Amino acid sequence: MVDYDNSGTPPEAHQPGSIGRKFFRSDHKAIGLRYLWLALFSVFLGMIMSLVMRIHLVWPGAHFPLLSSPGNSPERYSALTLLHGSLMVLMVLTAAPQAGFGNYLLPIQIGARDMAFPILNLLAFWTTAGSLLGVTAAFFLPPQTGLTVWIASVALFCAAGLANALNFSVTTIDLRTKGMTLPRLPVTVWAWFINAILSLLIFSILLAACVYLLADRIVGTHFFTIPTLLSTASLNSQAVALPSLWQRLFWFFAQAQVYVAILPCFGIVTHLISTFSRKPVWAQRAVVLALCAVGLFGFCIWGQHTFASGLNPYSPLVFGLLASSLGLPASMLLISWFGTLWNGKVRLTTAMLFALGFVSLFLSGGLSGLFLARNDLTSTTANDDFVTGHFHLVMGVAATFAMLSALFFWFPKMFGRSLDERLGKIHFWITFVGVYCVFMPMHWLGLIAHLHLSPEATLTAANAAASAIRSFVTVATLATVAAQGIFLVNFMTSLRKPSNAAEKNPWRATTLEWSLPSPPALGNFAGSLPVVYRGAYEFGVPNGAEDFAPQSLPTDGTPPAMPGGTDPGLQPLPPYAAGENTM
Amino acid sequence: MPGTHVVDDIELIIEDIGGGGGNKPPAGGDSGGGDNDANKRRKPTPMSPRRYQTAIVLAMLSIVMFFMALAVTFLVRKMSSDWVPVHLPFMVWVNTIVILASSGTIELARRKQAEGDLQGFRTLWQVTTGLGVLFLIGQLIAWRQLVDKGFYVSTNPASSFFYIFTAAHGVHLLGGVGALCYVLFRNFEKTKLTQSVAAEVTSYYWHFMDGLWLFLLALLYLGK
Repeated sequence: MVDYDNSGTPPEAHQPGSIGRKFFRSDHKAIGLRYLWLALFSVFLGMIMSLVMRIHLVWPGAHFPLLSSPGNSPERYSALTLLHGSLMVLMVLTAAPQAGFGNYLLPIQIGARDMAFPILNLLAFWTTAGSLLGVTAAFFLPPQTGLTVWIASVALFCAAGLANALNFSVTTIDLRTKGMTLPRLPVTVWAWFINAILSLLIFSILLAACVYLLADRIVGTHFFTIPTLLSTASLNSQAVALPSLWQRLFWFFAQAQVYVAILPCFGIVTHLISTFSRKPVWAQRAVVLALCAVGLFGFCIWGQHTFASGLNPYSPLVFGLLASSLGLPASMLLISWFGTLWNGKVRLTTAMLFALGFVSLFLSGGLSGLFLARNDLTSTTANDDFVTGHFHLVMGVAATFAMLSALFFWFPKMFGRSLDERLGKIHFWITFVGVYCVFMPMHWLGLIAHLHLSPEATLTAANAAASAIRSFVTVATLATVAAQGIFLVNFMTSLRKPSNAAEKNPWRATTLEWSLPSPPALGNFAGSLPVVYRGAYEFGVPNGAEDFAPQSLPTDGTPPAMPGGTDPGLQPLPPYAAGENTM
Repeated sequence: MPGTHVVDDIELIIEDIGGGGGNKPPAGGDSGGGDNDANKRRKPTPMSPRRYQTAIVLAMLSIVMFFMALAVTFLVRKMSSDWVPVHLPFMVWVNTIVILASSGTIELARRKQAEGDLQGFRTLWQVTTGLGVLFLIGQLIAWRQLVDKGFYVSTNPASSFFYIFTAAHGVHLLGGVGALCYVLFRNFEKTKLTQSVAAEVTSYYWHFMDGLWLFLLALLYLGK
């Protein structure tokens, strides 16, 4: 199933031109970077939202201009939560690891010049940007209009997600270069590919649900409500809701969506741990199978979330078993990560620290998830701080750590400059301790709320404890958010450093993008497309002075015919890449 | 406004990047002439058609999921107490014959193309496009018939489902009509995509739309 199009001529260099050209470039690298900028903007906006929420929880009277302006009402607090959630889940967790890093790296890593359908890619990006605009605008509109705008924006996001998923899967199936067989694919590409297939299936379900919901809101249909005949004048307020129908459609999407967010992160972390341990991925084939299993189970466990809304009595058992069995592929991944680290020559660069941070957060968040897979959960448990703590650790923060590790790792390739390691490590440690201080006590809060003792006696004591914990969480949030300033400073100052485009491979990595100049030119590969001779993780093999073999290095030992006719680009190891100044 | 100008530029860039030329000749019934005389000008090397075939298969998979979600909601919703069955307007049966006929003509057109009879191909392809447009107009007439009987979008859930199903199918079919027109009017000497591949992929989608309509019709008819 491989398209050996080797004779393609690289496109001419891009003319620095009008603004229109800049905004409508369909080059996959430009689009990938735009997604990352979008995510960066959204993550900071979303973080400010969470800060405002925490502050309102502890000091309900606090007032912020603009954010809490139309009255500090409970509705505004819900709107804050909605905006925080949709920004973080859609624009950051879903878009950045897949559409951002995937767009930039997938074509290069498989040896293609671009995505299979560049114009579709461009359209998908601008649809996503429109969706971000709509989601944000919904916050400032009157509640009913706002909700309609929000749903329409989510529908737009689904459409963009589908276009992206189609592009990613076709690119991976048909555009691999000569020699890039399936076993030689980097695990990152596997993760993006499996994720694309999963997205292709679930985003259309949410799109269908959005179509129904929009019809209910705009043309007055009753898909999710039953009108009562008492009053025809105010149908909306009189309608009896059919929430379970909507919930089933929604959770079919949303439960799988969790895995859509985390799958690319698995790929990135596996890739980085191998590179910085200077060892092949331990049991690579099993890792790929585990990724497939995560995708498959993730697609099947949608019933998990409908326990609270009621199902056939046997189905919770099935879904509970399925949800628990997700522990199997997850354990496989963990075993592989530790197996790779074992006896490796570990280089603790910032990228590696964030990857290890991901492993830690995934482990602790995943353990609390086992409690939630129990099928005797009641609706009260399904809504509280325990769940909030669980999914923020395992989904939100862990995925953010994976994205940061990817950013620190690929930043030299994307911009020809590297992020500062010292600032990066300070940022890592404060954030790492900070997020544990924020989300671990939340589990505790959830447990306190479920003391089923005599309510009168313990309530005051529990309340006192809870409010102390709440204040602690808020202070920890303040500190953690403040620490992100370090990252912002690091990011902005690093972009102004002198460019070092000749430095092709600072991390001594094997995949194809490291054989190209930083950043790679339009069309990626000068001359003909590269030929791949090796697997993606050949570390620790004798190869002259180096301990790794790039994928394009022929197995018979002759020097690889590098695109552009230059050497693989090995300058002396820069000090920041050696990872010796560990903190 | 430099809008259109910019878009043209993008298209040029993309076609340059487009993946290069396949070493293999394009698959499919491409034995006929048509493309042969194109070689005298700067004709981009024909691209392997596989990416379009893969894309259409995956897109159909995704569209199936979309309509399955619509259908499941229909089946669950009709168990509730306020369900009032709606009789399908007569026009949908006429439309069904129209779309079945269009599936036949598109197959005949591709056969003509494989035989090298490009004139016959064009004629039959035009007939197919006409039938597609006719189907869409027919659906609008069917809506008209329902409205005349007093069933609006929001009258009751059953009529809502009829409008939503036909509208969703119609939008997807409109995309198919766009693809049919693309095959008719696009100057394939400028693209890496050959006409036969475009026709092949479009015909897959068209048959799929046909089958989807039969499924929705059966659902609406049997499930009322």
